[in-house]
Amino acid sequence: MLKNDRSELNYSALLKAARRLVPAPGQSVRVALLSDASTQHIVPLLKALFAGNGFNAEIYEAGYDAIQLEAYNPDSGLYAFQPQIVVILQSIMKAKEKFYGFAGDRGDFARANADKIEGVWKALASRTQAFIIQSTLVIPYERPFGNFGRKLTEDVSGAVSELNREICLRAREYPGVFINDIDYLAGWVGRRHFLDEKLWALAKSLCALEFLPDVAQNIVDIALACLGRAVKCVVLDLDNTLWGGVVGDDGLEGIGLGDIDEGGAFRSFQLYLRDLSRRGIILCVCSKNNEAIARRVFQEHPAMVLKEEHIAVFVANWEDKATNIRRIREKLNIGFDSMVFLDDNPFERNLVRQLIPEIIVPELPEDPALYVRAVSELNLFEAASHSAVDAQRNALYREQEMREAESKAFASIDEYLQSLGTVAILERFEPRNLSRIAQLIQRSNQFNLTTRRYSEPECEAIMRNESDFFPFTITLQDRFGAYGLINVVILRWDRPSRTCEIDTFLMSCRVLQRGVEQFAMNKIMEFARREGCERVVGHYIPTAKNIMVREFFAQFGFVPLSSGNGPGTEWRISVDDYMPCKVFVKEQSLSLELTPAGEAR
Amino acid sequence: MTRAEIHETLTGVFRDVFDNPSLNISDTTTAKDIEEWDSIVHVTLIVAVEKKFGVSFTTRDVRRLENVGDFIQLISSRLN
Repeated sequence: MLKNDRSELNYSALLKAARRLVPAPGQSVRVALLSDASTQHIVPLLKALFAGNGFNAEIYEAGYDAIQLEAYNPDSGLYAFQPQIVVILQSIMKAKEKFYGFAGDRGDFARANADKIEGVWKALASRTQAFIIQSTLVIPYERPFGNFGRKLTEDVSGAVSELNREICLRAREYPGVFINDIDYLAGWVGRRHFLDEKLWALAKSLCALEFLPDVAQNIVDIALACLGRAVKCVVLDLDNTLWGGVVGDDGLEGIGLGDIDEGGAFRSFQLYLRDLSRRGIILCVCSKNNEAIARRVFQEHPAMVLKEEHIAVFVANWEDKATNIRRIREKLNIGFDSMVFLDDNPFERNLVRQLIPEIIVPELPEDPALYVRAVSELNLFEAASHSAVDAQRNALYREQEMREAESKAFASIDEYLQSLGTVAILERFEPRNLSRIAQLIQRSNQFNLTTRRYSEPECEAIMRNESDFFPFTITLQDRFGAYGLINVVILRWDRPSRTCEIDTFLMSCRVLQRGVEQFAMNKIMEFARREGCERVVGHYIPTAKNIMVREFFAQFGFVPLSSGNGPGTEWRISVDDYMPCKVFVKEQSLSLELTPAGEAR
Repeated sequence: MTRAEIHETLTGVFRDVFDNPSLNISDTTTAKDIEEWDSIVHVTLIVAVEKKFGVSFTTRDVRRLENVGDFIQLISSRLN
């Protein structure tokens, strides 16, 4: 995602940055490019943009127009490269050739070509676990029938729009396929500027060089979301950001918010923000204001779209904003790099940028009518999955605030935990939970022992592999509300050595100090014993963000091995040595079998 | 714009594209003389020259370019 504005997408500046790149410590990412356009010009741009986000990108370029050749050949360079991400870029110039040469009924063009694309996805998915980033096609401008062509199947631009739609519809069935909507980008800058027939003729260029950075940025945005980097929270200023004027001075009736003029602009912005909240972005308020006066606007102003229920953490006081944002971050337990701060005041924006460099602070234009445009342009909210939990996320954090307020009244933490009446449902991976499981695997950074980012198809494969794996989830609820599915554990059986390996253990940070991990570990030991294992092995693989679980295994009596197998630190415990933990979580009886339901062992 | 002015401005574009502030070009300079001047950079160069001079070349124009002298000649003809 862009951090400030589009000036970051300058072709020659990025080219220079790419030339000056030196291998820096950081995560690496392996990206393969399959295209029926030339890819040479986009490679340095991708490298520079990935580097700007802390990734060393290794890039594989398949030969020109070798998409199917590489995908269908098990011995191709593509598979030898072992990509984490496969980018498929398709040019409208090539698609037009196919359309004009199409032998069948032109009404079948979209379906026939979508079949081919889907065939490539299938081939890729059968040989690699890589995320697939599939481009749409830029709708061409020739219209042999003029506007009338929109009513026909004969028409090239109509056929291409249909093909785009077909690609997107089919991608819904493939959780590992992501759409790179190049037609959206082209539409945004104007197709006549985006397309460059001369560069196609000279060099088979996908588009004008000037807009190649937009394409590269879009790919990087999608890749980052797949790799678990995503914005989770937007922190909002109030006066002149959500409404016109200063409520402390102008009063509830005096602020600009409604249907017309500036008031309408602020309302449009609020509608956009409310939609972000529905999509799972946490909204918070950070304002220099009297809290009661500020809250009254949310409670009483008839034109307010955002209500208190949409705001997870509401901070209104006279302290500096950086301090307040740090407080919000602590409450939410997320990284600064997953937070966006929106404020109309350049002074506040700069102050926050200076004091919290990781946070994203977009430039906002002077005119509130342009707020939605300015924020949309940065594509800050790329997602790698979507589940029902997203819409409830704000409510989850609000409930958390209420729990915290109550916890202060109890003498001991045990007494408090007891009072919560926490109920857990433990179940093996279920098809209905897969999207949420994959999402948690992608998003969890802090309470994550091994940070293995399994994609949804990989989770499904693990779910189906009954002989080697016991993958389970925990869904939690207490008297304040439901937390949803918050814990993912993947156990791997190594039967010859009678060992149970904890391949993955991660938890949403919303449920820290609830005794969930103690409950889960008791269960792990129970399962291991039932499966005939003598010992349980776990790994801690350190990342920039998971320091909080460095001593995780120690608390349960695991012993670290000086030279373990695999990456990170290996910890071991004999099943007989394990002392079960005291837990305050009640398990809801759900008949749980180690074998899937219906298959008695 | 005189030929000398075009030469000077074009030198600036070459220096920028090849990221070499001391690069000098003459009418007889060809792609063989500059190590990084391959077909990929060629496209970048064409686009940068078009932008700098505010001109547009045709596909045929671009294919006919043999050396820097041709380039200056082409820019000059398109400017008028």
